[in-house]
Amino acid sequence: MHKMHNTPLGRVFDVFNHIILLLMGLVTFIPFVYVIAASFATEAEIAARPFFIIPDTITTAAYEYIFSTNTFVRSMGVSVLVTVLGTLVSLALTLTMAYPLSRRNLLGRNVLLNLVVFTMIFNGGMIPTYMVVRSLGLLDSLWALILPVAINPFYLIIVKSFFQNLPEELEESARIDGCSDMGVFWKIVLPLSKPVIATFTLFYAVFYWNDFFNALLYISDSAKWPIQLLLQQLMMVANVDFGEMDTMLADPPEESLKMAVVVVATVPILLFYPFLQKHFAKGILLGSVKG
Amino acid sequence: MMKRKKKLWLILFSCLLMVILIGCNSDDEASNQEDTDGTNNDESQGENNQTDEEPFDISIMTTSFSPEPPEEDSPAWEAIEEFTNTNLDITFVPNSNYDERFNITLASGELPSIILTGKTPSFISAVEDGAFWDLTDYVDEYENLSQMNEIVKNNISIKGRIYSLYRSRPLGRKAVTIRKDWLDNLGMEMPQTIDEFYDVMYAFTHDDPDGNGKDDTIGTVISEYEGPWDIMQTWFGVPNKWGIDDEGKLYPHFQDPQYREALDFFKKMYDEGLVNEDFAVMDPAKWHDEFVNGRAGTVIDVADAASRNQDNMVKEDSSLEGSVDLFGAVEGPEGLTHLPTTGYSMMFAISKTAVQSEEELHKVLEFMDQMSTEEGQNLAFNGVEGRHYEIVDGEYTPSDDQALIYEHEDLNQLLTFIPEERHLTEPLQEIEKKEEQVMKNNEEIVVENPAEPLVSEVYGRQGEQLDNIILDARVQYIVGQIDESGLDEAEELWMNSGGKEYIEEINQLYQEAQANQ
Amino acid sequence: MGLLSLKSKKKIVNEEEGSNQVSKMKLLFRNRYLYLLLLPGLIYFLLFKYLPMWGVLMAFQDYSPFLGFWESKWVGFDHFINFFQNPDFFRLLRNTLILAFYDLIFFFPAPIIVALLLNEIRVQFFKRTIQTLVYVPHFMSWVIIASITYVFLTTSGGAVNAIVEYFTGETINFLSSPDWFRPMIIGQVIWKETGWGTVIFLAALAGVSTEQYEAAIMDGAGRFRRMWHVTLPALRGTIMILLILRLGNFLDQGFQQIYLMTNSLNREVADVFDTYVYFVGITQGAFSYSTAVGLFKAVVGIILIYGSDYLAKKMKQPGLF
Repeated sequence: MHKMHNTPLGRVFDVFNHIILLLMGLVTFIPFVYVIAASFATEAEIAARPFFIIPDTITTAAYEYIFSTNTFVRSMGVSVLVTVLGTLVSLALTLTMAYPLSRRNLLGRNVLLNLVVFTMIFNGGMIPTYMVVRSLGLLDSLWALILPVAINPFYLIIVKSFFQNLPEELEESARIDGCSDMGVFWKIVLPLSKPVIATFTLFYAVFYWNDFFNALLYISDSAKWPIQLLLQQLMMVANVDFGEMDTMLADPPEESLKMAVVVVATVPILLFYPFLQKHFAKGILLGSVKG
Repeated sequence: MMKRKKKLWLILFSCLLMVILIGCNSDDEASNQEDTDGTNNDESQGENNQTDEEPFDISIMTTSFSPEPPEEDSPAWEAIEEFTNTNLDITFVPNSNYDERFNITLASGELPSIILTGKTPSFISAVEDGAFWDLTDYVDEYENLSQMNEIVKNNISIKGRIYSLYRSRPLGRKAVTIRKDWLDNLGMEMPQTIDEFYDVMYAFTHDDPDGNGKDDTIGTVISEYEGPWDIMQTWFGVPNKWGIDDEGKLYPHFQDPQYREALDFFKKMYDEGLVNEDFAVMDPAKWHDEFVNGRAGTVIDVADAASRNQDNMVKEDSSLEGSVDLFGAVEGPEGLTHLPTTGYSMMFAISKTAVQSEEELHKVLEFMDQMSTEEGQNLAFNGVEGRHYEIVDGEYTPSDDQALIYEHEDLNQLLTFIPEERHLTEPLQEIEKKEEQVMKNNEEIVVENPAEPLVSEVYGRQGEQLDNIILDARVQYIVGQIDESGLDEAEELWMNSGGKEYIEEINQLYQEAQANQ
Repeated sequence: MGLLSLKSKKKIVNEEEGSNQVSKMKLLFRNRYLYLLLLPGLIYFLLFKYLPMWGVLMAFQDYSPFLGFWESKWVGFDHFINFFQNPDFFRLLRNTLILAFYDLIFFFPAPIIVALLLNEIRVQFFKRTIQTLVYVPHFMSWVIIASITYVFLTTSGGAVNAIVEYFTGETINFLSSPDWFRPMIIGQVIWKETGWGTVIFLAALAGVSTEQYEAAIMDGAGRFRRMWHVTLPALRGTIMILLILRLGNFLDQGFQQIYLMTNSLNREVADVFDTYVYFVGITQGAFSYSTAVGLFKAVVGIILIYGSDYLAKKMKQPGLF
């Protein structure tokens, strides 16, 4: 990127910095490697060996069981659809609301901001929200997984402050060129906010991908279950206390199945990250004005 | 650049739609096939139904445990409708958050005819507000439902009345699984008394029962889950949660003199290393592994764990076939005593808003009664013969096609098993027969909790804290963090944390219930 | 609707130019597109956040789902009194506060530090790989993390204790010791969420221009002074907002995590409001009581948010608004 002359102290720092980060990467990643390894291991091996990276006997039984359901592909499809659609809706609503709120001269701005902050702390709870969703006729519709959670007020406030920090000179000059508010938002603000948009695309996408609680509440039709709910259901017995386990059930799920579920649920969204990552580095235009 | 991106989106979207549509289509085809199969079956069974009445509409909400609950066109579902002459609208709710869905359904005011519920505070308050039918005087008219177990019936009652049909589970389910081959190696017999049990545990720990020359075994394995201690203290004659004194008053179990006896025994076990040192923090998911691995000689849990553990052991080492045995209880100062389960797993209540007349109520009860017949249980538990199972040489042989299993599996959530299980089963292994026998024997020696049917307000608010005070003190005493006086302090804390009010309330409720009977 | 009435007033506005009110009207009108932009979001908040807000009032009722909101009995402040008089109240408050402070002191800065370190890496491949690795744990559920923690920390064959024993000759009972409970909880949080937390700071750093760095170099600033004078200030706004918002949820703790790590030997320090509310509210179905506890936490949160925002402004720091 930028050329910088490096002092000896700086070089020492560089070396340590690389080592520290590498260690961090290992510490965070090794348990995941164990999860992957355990998902391919036999039950006996998981019980006998406290920790391993490569199982002695490799079995794909856990994955076969997960993929044995007819609904697996369908649930994946539901999850991808909800994630894509939800992220688009959320981004659209968040960005369009954050921009006006970032304008200090907007009348009523403070009232609106307080209104938003208030909802971060107070909420009506599960039953009243369910009533609203039901009266809107959203039950058993995939929209019930998106609309009630469309804007995260937390994210809204952060996006707002990002917008607020954009150099005003840019907007001023655009306005002199005859741009309307809409024009400024569309042509100046959004293109400048790529890293922010990439960040919140990631945040919203991960949220929608991981969410299953709303599906539990609002979706009765199992054909519309997202993948997380299906996986939850696959290893349900795991959370039941042992002694009180319902006798109608078969054996408790195997440890390897629990691990395989983590892998299946995580890998798709993990693969999504690098595509967004490159946008985090692009802030270019911004500084040229400010500097 | 922009245009290309838009195109990409479009393609992505249409791909998604395709996936979903195709998913649906292929499913429809499959279900069409099922339909034809289903009608064939219906014809063969149709003769059972002589009535010309219109099928009666019943809506049901119950739990589901499978990733693919059955749908309306499942042949098993249709066969049940045919058999009971009903139109069923079943909502399967994932078990993991059933309570929340129950509350929401209550709040929405759209109750199904039959709803599964636990004996939760919201159910009880709904009963008090008149949401559900009082079934006490109706159940006697039905062949199967009239044969409810008295203990369990008492457990589900609210102020002496029955508002639901319980889903029966074995009352005497607890048992000790033990390594029979280890006993044989040491020349010991199955323990009959607490003293003998201690001797066995001691020998399992110190006398190298597996003969490998290493000191790598323990008597029993216990995890963070407190069940095993509860089971063992019952052998000592400690009451099941509440005892009754000479004046007919209830007192909490830890005030029984036998409680301290039991705790001293536990402490001795721990001090001598007969139980794993890290029991207080052990992950319950790894609990039975120690037995399967051959590290622990016993595991104190449920009867059906014996066959499950043996299967897992044989999978690794086929020579271990027949090495596992089990027993229900050992004799203590008060003879054989056994800690029972509540005897049920949730129950079905019938809504007054959905089922408005007595006539309709009878039809719903009739349906539940029919589901308890052998044929009803077969349909809901085993599915449809020829599709979900075959009878080969008189033996029940279920299909192992996962898709077919899902087609009927969750329908067993409709069954009450009152008065007993009557469905087809695969031929039992030796050890499974023993399990049944042990559970049956246990039922004769259960120690009832006199307060089980009572619903305490104090407990609702503070029960968790109160229970934890006693449970934590027990663990701390066993590992030696506190002594006798520490136990006294814990009991005093219990009293001052709402325990006194709890005892008073329970006694008052108990007197009222006695007076009602 | 608002817009329509505004248009019809346009004429009047023109006639009365000059007065204070008029300039307000003018301002409203000039920003009409901004209001239009804001409208869908506003509808969302009114519909899904404010319409169900009556649920907060359950705290003053004995809410029964079957009877519904209107039929349920009103009990005033009974639930709050019960809560405050609970013999465990102060223990719960103490545990909750200590954990919250630990979280603020040890976890909150972690993503900032890691973001700063990552920002100093110039080999893009290395940077991106590390970034991806550190954010993996965010996707693991607490159930899995608890089970992994057990595998690593147990005194019977756990990897960590094997190392500890090698150096000190003794094992440490991390899982059952009340002293180790809080470090363990915070450690888990740091492990799970630090990488994820860096994402937002890295986005903020993307806005810092190379020219700013070059200017600093011209001034003869070394590595650390550049970090201090260029990089860190670029993060200041984000840090302040996240800090203030975190204070709003100060009393919230991950219920599931704490519940899973609690046992009979460490419960004394482990019980917090969130685990307490779970048992009372969910397992015992005491809606009103748990709503009351939630409301108490919310009031504390709102005081902390506005208090800290006020302080931030006083100290000439970027605030929330």
